[in-house]
Amino acid sequence: MKEITAIIRRDKLPVTKKALDDIGYSSLTIQSVDGRGKQKGAMCAEMDSEMPDSFCTSAKLKPTPAAYALEHTLPTVALYVPKRMLTLVVPDDVVTAVVKAIIKANQSGKRGDGKIFVSPIDGALRVRTGERNGEAIA
Amino acid sequence: MKMIRAFIRPEKEQEVVLALEGAGFPSLTKMPVFGRGKQKGLTVGPVHYDELPKTLIMTVVDDKDLDRVLEVIQGKARTGFIGDGKVFISPVESVYTVRTGETGL
Repeated sequence: MKEITAIIRRDKLPVTKKALDDIGYSSLTIQSVDGRGKQKGAMCAEMDSEMPDSFCTSAKLKPTPAAYALEHTLPTVALYVPKRMLTLVVPDDVVTAVVKAIIKANQSGKRGDGKIFVSPIDGALRVRTGERNGEAIA
Repeated sequence: MKMIRAFIRPEKEQEVVLALEGAGFPSLTKMPVFGRGKQKGLTVGPVHYDELPKTLIMTVVDDKDLDRVLEVIQGKARTGFIGDGKVFISPVESVYTVRTGETGL
């Protein structure tokens, strides 16, 4: 068994759930979390990256608005982006399929699409019936 | 790679996060949680608090960076009193970036 932890955009949750339904692994836990990545939570960085280069040169706006905002933000404040975290436990042989489905549903090609972590799970127990391990997640 | 789940005091969160950023580990996920430890909560006079608010910081790092990240977290989150929190470390086999579909941190 493997645990798949996916941190995705909030608005992609319905699409992701649909995609997981389609491949038959619809059991999941959803949490509302705050996160930050390599951009340190600066959502404006994404806007900057989409802005044409000519904008900065023609309007003489160097540094870019996001860089300006970051510079003038108090250095003691950490920024976060609200995200949704999904946790699924699936059998070993379908890990790749599930990961691919999540990536396909969430890929927009822009920064902030999220990360997926795969880690081992040693055991499982279904509380209602007492089934263990593989049967518990079937 | 290793997943680090650190349960720390909510008031220490900013300090820890900024220290991690300074050490070169800006990526993390945080969530507010409630829990209790060995002391079964906290008793202040006649009032007993069974569950105490904590902040859970979750981050995934390379094996070689593990000790350094733990040092940073402990250095900033430690007050020396009960309730400083715990850090749990678990293995992560693979990491995917959704934007590119590539593996790796």
